[in-house]
Amino acid sequence: MFNYSLISQAIETGDRDESVRLTNEALRAGMDPPDIIIGGLQAGMGVVGDKYSSGEYFLPDMLMAARAMKTALAVLKPSLAATGVPTIGRVVIGTVTGDMHDVGKNVVATFLGGSGFEVFDLGLNVPDQDFIDEVRERKADILGLSALLTTTMPIMGRIIKGLEEAGLRSGVRVIVGGAPVTQDYANYIGADGYAHDGGKAIRACRQLLGK
Amino acid sequence: MAMTQKQRILAAARGEKLDKIPFGARIDVWYNYHSAHGTLPEKYKGWGQVDILRDQGAGSQVRLWSVTREEYRDMEVVEKHDPPYIDTEYRTPLGTVTKKEVFDTSEGPWIKYEMEKIFKSEQDYPVIKYLMEHTVPADNFEAYQKVRDEVGEDGMVMTAAGLLWSPVQRVMREIIGYEQFFYELADRPAEVEALIEVMKDLERRKFEVAMGCDLEIFNICGNWSDDIHTPVFRKYFVPWLREACDKLHAHGRLVMVHSDGEMRRLNPLFRETGIDIAEAITPAPQTLVTMAEFRRELGGGVTIWGGIPSVLFEPMYSDDDFDKYVQNMFREMAPGYRFIIGMGDNLPFDGAINRVGRVVELIDRYGTLPVKS
Repeated sequence: MFNYSLISQAIETGDRDESVRLTNEALRAGMDPPDIIIGGLQAGMGVVGDKYSSGEYFLPDMLMAARAMKTALAVLKPSLAATGVPTIGRVVIGTVTGDMHDVGKNVVATFLGGSGFEVFDLGLNVPDQDFIDEVRERKADILGLSALLTTTMPIMGRIIKGLEEAGLRSGVRVIVGGAPVTQDYANYIGADGYAHDGGKAIRACRQLLGK
Repeated sequence: MAMTQKQRILAAARGEKLDKIPFGARIDVWYNYHSAHGTLPEKYKGWGQVDILRDQGAGSQVRLWSVTREEYRDMEVVEKHDPPYIDTEYRTPLGTVTKKEVFDTSEGPWIKYEMEKIFKSEQDYPVIKYLMEHTVPADNFEAYQKVRDEVGEDGMVMTAAGLLWSPVQRVMREIIGYEQFFYELADRPAEVEALIEVMKDLERRKFEVAMGCDLEIFNICGNWSDDIHTPVFRKYFVPWLREACDKLHAHGRLVMVHSDGEMRRLNPLFRETGIDIAEAITPAPQTLVTMAEFRRELGGGVTIWGGIPSVLFEPMYSDDDFDKYVQNMFREMAPGYRFIIGMGDNLPFDGAINRVGRVVELIDRYGTLPVKS
């Protein structure tokens, strides 16, 4: 039995070389790639998310961990061609139109991607209709909306109304975030969830899907 | 003779005793939006933002990009304008770098955003360094004087010697971008540090020019977030901020930073900088820090300017909620010295302008110094 916690620890410390070495070692030991992902890579990113939320970790810690995870995941890709990467749910995410800020959204997308969600990142300055079209096309379980400006914050409520008008609201959970956004504001615009940071977004999205 | 709004703000910034808490409000997001959309309240149609703030009884903050501007030597700079986009090419003897910006004040914000950063790969380091070394600061005093005349004694011109950001913040935010910055710092630290040094030299030259104007408060950095800036703050920010403070203090100027982000883990480091004013302080519920914690963490030597998060001006908060928030803020800031009330950081476009006047009324009622806790 391979000790996946070693891979998890390498991810936690952002050690790219060690993550790759241990992933290769696990493959050579005959471990299943999905088990390596869940027990090693995703477990490591989960710890990073918790440490980020608690204030112990900062943006560069998260970036280095994510880079280590992506590099290790690339090692597994050929072995995953048949089975694919196991996913918890599909998330469409982006920064709303008129808003050019994407660091927070990128943090959330990275944590979700590293924790087993299939993420479709639409980028920044995304038109309302693109969110609605992508939710429909990707059959998204969750829509993540980000706004850093008080001028763009109300657009999140507008998109939720757009989902209602398109008959998609009941099929998708909406989670919102961004510097000026609060839990009260999320409630006010009718969002299903709110996350202050990327680490909390993992837990919030899992809760929204009951997983 | 009664003190003017400007005198009151400057006195609080210097730690002098006042009779009541001053208020320097900021409404440019609200004003730009409604001016562009023709939706200013009937009474204020055709008014300037300083006049609106005068009518509300508040002191004003009016933004100007800088008291200096940049000219370029020994290179060709080509700008293409396709509103709201601006594409710029810097053609130097060492190569060409490009950036793409978006600039449109009609939705409120007044600054350009780089959609495409000037730094694309490690090949760009020598070109960007050349660009900074061959940038020559010139004065922008005519534009500054125009805004200063508009504001008069009713508030402050909020501007900088160079740009709104310190050299390392400019590298992080404008030149490379935050995420790529950390990858570069991990992979090529010497290149990043050399670029920061070149940027510092440019900013020092801008300070020399800026000293020729009578600006009382210099904004030397801003837009920090503790998850991004804390890991590099002591090594890369503090030495520069101290140098800038020493230089500006020697010329009798006050130093400010625009602290509108999450400051929880940065507050303990703030006191190492020598900065006089933490402006646009944005407390809970918009961040994790209360005003009482800001007061405690920043200490008695820093003037706090801010306190009312933008979200409180939103229609989701009732007038009663708003009043209760402001009254509680007074209590948290007791005894209330070294405090200037302001927004964190702006009146949102769907915010209520009359709440600016409401703050003035609440100051008259509860803001007499010393404030009781």
